[in-house]
Formats: sequence, C-alpha cells, structure tokens
Amino acid sequence: MWKQIGGREAGQIRPNSFSNRVKSNRVSSLQLSNYKDIVSPHRGSINSLQVDLTEGRYLLSGASDASVAVYDVQRATDYDGSGLIATHKSIVVVDKQHEQGHKYAVSSAIWYPIDTGLFITGSYDHYVKVWDTNSTQVVMNFKMPGKVYRTAMSSLATSHMLIAAGTEDVQVRLCDIASGAFAHTLSGHRDGIMTVEWSTSNEWVLVTGGCDGAIRFWDIRRAGCFRVLDQSQSQLGRRPPLLERSALNKVSTSKSSSVGQNLYAKSRPLQRKSTNGNGIKQSPIGRTPTKASVRQRLHPGMLSGQDRATAHYGAVTGLKVTDDGMYLLSAGSDSRIRLWDVQSGCNTLVNFETVRLQTSKAIQLATSQDPALVFVPCMTAVKAFDVWSGKTRMAFRGHYEYVNCCWFSSQDQELYTGGSDRKIHAWSPSRLISDELDGEPMKDQDNWSD
Amino acid sequence: MEEEQGKVRALIEMATNSTEREVDPRLLKAIKSVVRYSDSELRLAAQTLMDLMKRDHSQVRYLTLLIIDELFMRSKIFRTLVVENLDQLLSLSVGFRRNLPLPGPPAIATILRSKAIEFLEKWNTSFGVHYRQIRLGFDYLKNTLRFQFPNLQANAARIQQERREREIKTKEILRNKFETLGQNLSTIKEEIQSTIDEIGECLDIIRAKEENMALAPLDDDDFEEFRSSELRQIRLDSLKEGEKVHENNDNTVVFDALRELYKLLMTKHMGSVQESISVLIRVEVPDNRLRDSMLKELIDIRNRLLSVKKKCEESGCALATNVKEEEEEDFWEEGKIGPAEKGSSSIPSKPKQKLQNLAVASTSGEIKNEQSDNNELGKTDSNSPRSKLLSEAPVVEWGSFLGNWGLDRDFMANQRGLELDNHWGRVDYDAVIPAEKIAELNLQATFYKEEPVEIQPCRAPLRKGGLCLRRDLKVCPFHGPIIPRDEEGNPINQKNPSSDENSIQKNPLIDNETSLDLGSDLSEQLAKQAIQNVRDREKEEGRKRKIDKQSLNRAKLAKVREHNEAVLRDAALASTSRSEAVEEGIDVTNGKKSSTRNKKTLASMLRNKVTTKDRLAQRLLNSRARDATTRQLTMGEEETYRENFPNQW
Repeated sequence: MWKQIGGREAGQIRPNSFSNRVKSNRVSSLQLSNYKDIVSPHRGSINSLQVDLTEGRYLLSGASDASVAVYDVQRATDYDGSGLIATHKSIVVVDKQHEQGHKYAVSSAIWYPIDTGLFITGSYDHYVKVWDTNSTQVVMNFKMPGKVYRTAMSSLATSHMLIAAGTEDVQVRLCDIASGAFAHTLSGHRDGIMTVEWSTSNEWVLVTGGCDGAIRFWDIRRAGCFRVLDQSQSQLGRRPPLLERSALNKVSTSKSSSVGQNLYAKSRPLQRKSTNGNGIKQSPIGRTPTKASVRQRLHPGMLSGQDRATAHYGAVTGLKVTDDGMYLLSAGSDSRIRLWDVQSGCNTLVNFETVRLQTSKAIQLATSQDPALVFVPCMTAVKAFDVWSGKTRMAFRGHYEYVNCCWFSSQDQELYTGGSDRKIHAWSPSRLISDELDGEPMKDQDNWSD
Repeated sequence: MEEEQGKVRALIEMATNSTEREVDPRLLKAIKSVVRYSDSELRLAAQTLMDLMKRDHSQVRYLTLLIIDELFMRSKIFRTLVVENLDQLLSLSVGFRRNLPLPGPPAIATILRSKAIEFLEKWNTSFGVHYRQIRLGFDYLKNTLRFQFPNLQANAARIQQERREREIKTKEILRNKFETLGQNLSTIKEEIQSTIDEIGECLDIIRAKEENMALAPLDDDDFEEFRSSELRQIRLDSLKEGEKVHENNDNTVVFDALRELYKLLMTKHMGSVQESISVLIRVEVPDNRLRDSMLKELIDIRNRLLSVKKKCEESGCALATNVKEEEEEDFWEEGKIGPAEKGSSSIPSKPKQKLQNLAVASTSGEIKNEQSDNNELGKTDSNSPRSKLLSEAPVVEWGSFLGNWGLDRDFMANQRGLELDNHWGRVDYDAVIPAEKIAELNLQATFYKEEPVEIQPCRAPLRKGGLCLRRDLKVCPFHGPIIPRDEEGNPINQKNPSSDENSIQKNPLIDNETSLDLGSDLSEQLAKQAIQNVRDREKEEGRKRKIDKQSLNRAKLAKVREHNEAVLRDAALASTSRSEAVEEGIDVTNGKKSSTRNKKTLASMLRNKVTTKDRLAQRLLNSRARDATTRQLTMGEEETYRENFPNQW
C-alpha cells in the first residue's frame, strides 16, 4: 500500500492503474459490513436493488410486499451500539398504503439513469410506474399485458427515454416516458420474458432473456431481433482466434453471394457500431463455414433453425452486460452461468463453479470491472466468480434464505445484496486499522478465565 | 507439532463421545488450556467442532455446541472463525431449515435446540455489536422465524429492577412514618403519661380503700397444720384472693375506670409504641442521633407501660378475667376482638344452619319421594327400580290369599269368629296351622293359555289375479315358504343369503311336489336350479383351486423364509464384530456381547429398540450358528437359491 503510494508520488505508477490497484485490493477484501446496517422496512423478499448511477449514494430496493424504499448509503440516519454501527434507515418508502402504490410484489425497481429525481418500478400487478422521488407521486403509469418481471433503462441513452419491460407476455414492450405510450413491441420470444438489459456500449441494443431459454438481441431502430444466442455455438477463449477467423471470413464472403445483398447491407450498421471494429460476425469454429455464414446473413426471424436456438436449458433468469459492453453474462434455471462474447454471439465455454441457482425467480447479477468479477446469487449465498476463469473468488454468506439480487457499487466498492429473508446486507471492504481505534468503547478481545 | 495438533482433536472427540448431559469438566479444561496457547490449535479446534456439528447424532452436536460456547465466550479468533459459518452452525443446532431437521434422539434434539437458542441470545448480547452475523442470525430467528427466545438477561434485569423499586418504596414509606413519628412523639408521650397517671390514681384509691378494710384473719393460718401440700396450696391461693380487693358497690366506678384505662393502655398505646419502635429500627436516616434518642425514649416508655400493666394485673386482678384473656391474646392487634366475637357468634349459628339445611334436605327428599311416587302412579318410569322390579314380577291372578302375601307365620286354626264350642266336643283354641302348611295350601295352580298367534297369509300372486290368502305357519303348499312380500306379492329380498339359499334349495323340492299343479313355474324353477347347481360346482372348484394355490404359496414362502434365514445368519456371522470370535468360541463372544449391550453408547441412544435383524442375528448366533460348517452349508444353499430365485436377494 505504502509502496504504491510512494510509486504514485514518484510518478512511476499511472493514476489510473494506481486507483485500479487500490480498488481491486479493496474488492478482494469484501466482507459483511459490521458498520453499515441497512434497515429494511420491507416485509417480503427483496427482488431488486440498485444504487443510483449519478451519485452512487441512493440505494433503491423493491420487495415482494409491493413496497419500494430508498436509502442513503453514505450518510447514516442513526448510530447504534455506542456509535459503532451506522444504521441506514429508509428515507423514502412507498408501500401498499400509498394510494398510488402497487398492489402486488414489486419485481423491479430502477433509477432513472440521468438523475435521482425519478425511479421506475415494475410489479406483478401488471403496471410499470414512474415515480417522482421527491414527492413520491406517480408521474406515469404503463399498463402491461401481464406480470412485469423486469424493467430496464439504458444508461447511455441520449436520444431516447425508453423503459424496456419484460413481462409474462411474449412481447417486450418499450415504454416511452416522453410520450407516455408504448414505443415498440418486440416480438420473438415464445414465452414470458424474465430479464431485459440494455447494452452498455450501444444505446439502441437491447438484450432480453426469456422463459423459453432464448437470449435475443434487438436493435430498436429496426424490426425483429438480430441475434439469438445459441449455447452450442461456442468459441474457446475470450476472443475468437484471429487467423482462423480471417480465413473463415474469406470463405464466408465468397459463399454468401447466394444470399440477398440487401440482407447483407442490413447487418452493416450493426457491425460498424461494434467496438471491435472487425466487420463480419463470427461463425463457429469447426463448422462448415458456408452454412454458418448463410445463417448469419439471413434475417434471424426468417430462419426457424436459428430462431429456435436456446442459450440455456430452461429459463434465462439473469442477464448482465459487462461494463465495457463486450461480454454478456447470463444465468439460467439450468444452474449455469454462461459468458457470451457479444461481438461474435458465441458461448465462451467458461465453466462457472456454480452449485445451484434459484430457478423460479429472476435473479439480478452484478459485475465489477477490475478485478473482473461477477457476483451471482447462489441460493442463500452470493458468490463472486472470476469472469474469465469461472473460479470462485469469494462467497458471501449472511442471508438465511435465498438471495434474489445484488448490486455492486463500483464507486465505493461495496456490494449490496437482498434476499427472501427481507434483509439487505452491505458488504464492504474491511476498514483500515486506524478507523477502528478511535474510541471503541467495548473491546472485543480474548477473555480466558483459566 | 504433529502430535500437538492431534491432541486437541482427540480431546474434543473424546469429550463429545459421551452420553452425559455435560461435557467432562476435566476434558473441557484440557481443551481450553491446549487451545489457549496456540492459534493453530484453536483453528483446528474450530474446524473439528464444525465437523462434529455435522454428525448425525444430536448428542454429539449437543456436546459440541457446549464446547463451542465455552470457546466462543473466550477467544476472539474462535469467534471470527465460527461467525463466518454462523448460518450453518445455526441450521445444524437449531434445525430451522425444513430440509435439515435435527437428527435423533428426539429428546436430546429438543434440548439441543433450546440450548442453541439460549446461546445465540447470550452471544448476541455480549458480542452482537462486533459481529454483524450474530445480529443477523438472532434477528432472523427472532423476527422472521419467530423463535421464542428465553430472554434470560432481560428477565433477570426486570426482576432486579422490580425488587429495587419495591425496596425504594418501602424505604420511602418508612421515612414518612419516621417523620410523622418525630412530629407526634411528644403528643403520644403526653397521652401515655396522662393515662399512666390516671391508672396510678385509680390504683391509689383502691389501695386506700383496701387499707381501710380490716385485714384480721391474716395470721390465723400459720398455726394450722396442713397435711398435704396441695391443700396448703389451695389455702394459700384462697388467702391471696382474700387479700385482693374485690369489686363491690363502693368501688365499681373506680374499677370500671381502671378497666377502661387498662384497655386503652394495652390496645392503643402499647401498639403504637411497639410500631414506632419497629419503624425506628428499620428506618435508614442520615441523622442517626435523633433516631437513637427517640428509640431510647420509646423503649423507656414501653418499659414503663409494662410495669404499669404488671401493677394493674397484680393489684386490680379483679379486672374481669375474660377481658384480660382477650387482651392478652390480642396483644399487638387492636381490631381483633370484634371479629373474634363475630366468629363466636357465628359458630353457634353454623350448626343451626346445618340443621336447617338438613331439615330442608330431608323435606326436599320427601318431596322428591312423593313426586316419584306420583310419577310411578301416573306412568312407570323406565329407570326407577320399582319399574324394573315390576317388569320382573310374576303376574298372579287375584285371590284371597293375596291378603296374606309374604306373611310367614302360623295361623290360629280355631279362631275365625265361629263358635264351634259344644258341637264337636272340646275345641282346642290354641290349635295352630303351621306356616308350611299354609304355604302348601295357598299353592296356586296355573293353567296353560295359548298365546294367540296371527298367522301371516301367504300373499303369493295368483294367476287369476289377487294374492294367495292361505294361512300356513311356515310353508304354503302351493307357493313355498312364506316370505315377506310387498303389495303386489313380489318377494322382498332378504338380506340373509343363507336363508335365501335355503329357500332356493327348498323351492325345487316344493316345486317337485307341486309340479303337477304349477307346470309353468316348474320349468323356470328347474332352469334356476340347473344354473344354481352349475354355479355351486364352479364355486366349489374355485375354492379348491384357491386352497391349492394357498398351500403352494405357503410352501413357497416357507422356502423363501428358510432362505432368508440362512442369508441373515450368514450376514450376522459375516458383519458383526463378533464374527472373528465365532471360531474361537461362543463363550467369549457372549461375554463381549453382554458387555457391549450393557454399556450405553451413542449408537444405542439412536437405536431406540433392538431391531429384528439384531435379534435374529443374536438368536442364530446363540443357537445354531456356532459351528462354522453351518455357514458353509448355508453358503452352498444360498448359491443354489440364488440360481433358483434371482429376484429375492
């Protein structure tokens, strides 16, 4: 630690890498925080947690007793145990007593990505509501055709204000806050949609996972989905091998003449947007390139073979795009976590050492950038896996019933988890020793009598 | 180091391998002393204990939990180690997860659970501030699962608090009393003094009168000799009595006043003085001098009062004794005389009441009897003994003998109001007919009377319409046995199949007899009979077959049983620890066996009774299996059976 500070002073270590080192150090020492007590007012299981994206200060939680609460995670409302324990009570609570409150379980509660003046809740009572945080009044109301499982807003959208809502219904609906109407109805899934997630690299790309086991990519500017992830399409390693790919590309371009040129053109803008910069989508290794490339060129909605591809056996219960937008993590009711290369749409075959995942409910995953970890609620514990190797790095045990959601606050390097035992736990890096020493009234020490 | 590390594990395992309710204190001490000086030992201990908690036996878990608690309360490192897996520890000790219930034996499992909850509460109060996990576990069990915590600490604190409050209250009361006493002491003193003075004056008056009276016969006694000390005593007493002043017309007023004053003194002043003394003794005041001086004064007063009392009793013994007795009885309490009197008055009233009650009861009983009599006269009550007897009693026709019913005495033969004298010679007026003779004479002849029986008509439908009106007792010659029929003459099916069969069987006979008359019925009946016969035969055959099958089955089962027995015997020989000893001699194994049976082990706690297999094995071992040849034989047998019955074992 001191060495690193010295290196930073001397200019040997770049500011970015210095902060990264400190952060990763802190992340690796995450543990159940004894000093941060979030008092949950909920009387049902916590289904959704999110810290706001602007200040990183307000935690929003939605629970199955139809209540939503906001906590200030940086300033405690109260101190307990002679100043040792900071309790964070909710500063805003909306529950069933509220005249505009939800009737049934709140499945999803998210912040408006631009500021903390609004938040959006989706509930099993078929409504998506947009709330004004300060007045706790509903400013907008969207009636959905079925139970709402998950709502999402794009964190980098500058040109639209769309709430993507996954419901019992087979269609994904995009609710426009600006107009108060459904902007799009995306159809393609064959069963209810458990999770929706916006791409973190492209404001128009939406990823949805359904109970039919499919993960679909949508470009909201065009009709239909442009990609269905297939678990059998796989690549080894983080990136597809370069040489082989270029070779394949050649073949595929030569063979793809039979396919309509307009389709090829259609897929163009997408490829241009992709961060990697190389133009053509990947075809799986070890397959006949012609078939694969043809399939890629076709509009996926046309070809039923690809359209029926599944990413998981059973439902897709959780989705999370990494912060750089290049990879997608998905959790399924088959107790698997899969890491997908967004660029190629391939399963990277990373074996995550999950034991079991909750199957009946949508779970909320969280990722940290550096070190690249994914936090997965595995039954009563939350496990942190290395994204690239799938090895278990940490296991966070503290909940007494199933954990439903977690959120990693990269600003404070804190993890928040919510479970069916109605508790919200904060997991923070262990404190520095100097913090502990100031006036601790009751020392925790050995007490041998004999 | 290796040996050292093994040590704590061995100690813990030894400590937990017991059936006692407590961990052996020596072992516990040893564990603590080992663990105290070595962190690695402590870690090892934590791990061992967690492993032991997973053991499928509540007794082991219970003892382990006790050790965990001991170490938990002492070592910080141990706490941090345990707290990491607190949810696991709780689920293993409290058993709150439905898929992970506590193992047997159930009695100890309940103890384990209550103990675990108690420990969790203790840990929470002492270390909850430092360990979030403990708080969470406590909170979860308490608020989510609604476990009932013993709340020991809180209860103790509450009781302490209550006691303190009560003490403070009593102190306050005492202080108040002390203050009022300080204010009132002078007036009390004055009152007492005046009373004492009055008593003194009264006594003086009496004495003065006494002196005035002549006391002549004082010395007369001395010269007289008394033979017995008793008489002497009586004499002395009477003399003393004589000395005393007796109440008479002159001094009645004085005596009355004296009595009043005495009563006042004893009830009021004495009581108040005693009370204030006790208050002074108990009260705690910052200024002790005042209290002490007051106490001294009061004690003086009391002594004076006592002396006055004595004087009163000595001199004015004429005070009515009953009064005195009462006063003596109720020395400290004033208000008891009233109640006592009340009691005395109430006591005699009680028997009266009782009597009345009795009277009421008896009269009511009479009334009841009357009522019941009335009832019986009106209509017989089925439950009453009278009606029961009535139902049993024989019905006898009326006769003059009923007048002498039940009389067992002799009759005078010649005293019936007839003058028989002189007609037939001498009459013996004392002639007697003995009772037996009378009974003999009164013997009643009974006549058989046929009971009228209504013979049911046959009511079988007739061809020309209508029903057969023949009345036969059992069998109608045309229509067979008489059976209950409905309006149209169709037989109502009887429940009893046997009677049905009988009727069916009888029918043909009757039909045969009446075949000439009823030809059309005959064919029908014959067909029926034929079917019946065939069915009967079939049934018979079926039964035979069944019996055959059963016997076959039985044989098969017997075979299987035999085979099973053989296998069990074999298994018993092979699996039990005694199998090696079998060859050496059965006595040794028996000895071993009995010792293991008697010793209480963890396994024996789990096994609430000896299983069939055990018993079988035991019996086989004792009886037949002692020779190893049997084993070989059964082995051979088993193989053949395996070939024959591949599905059985």
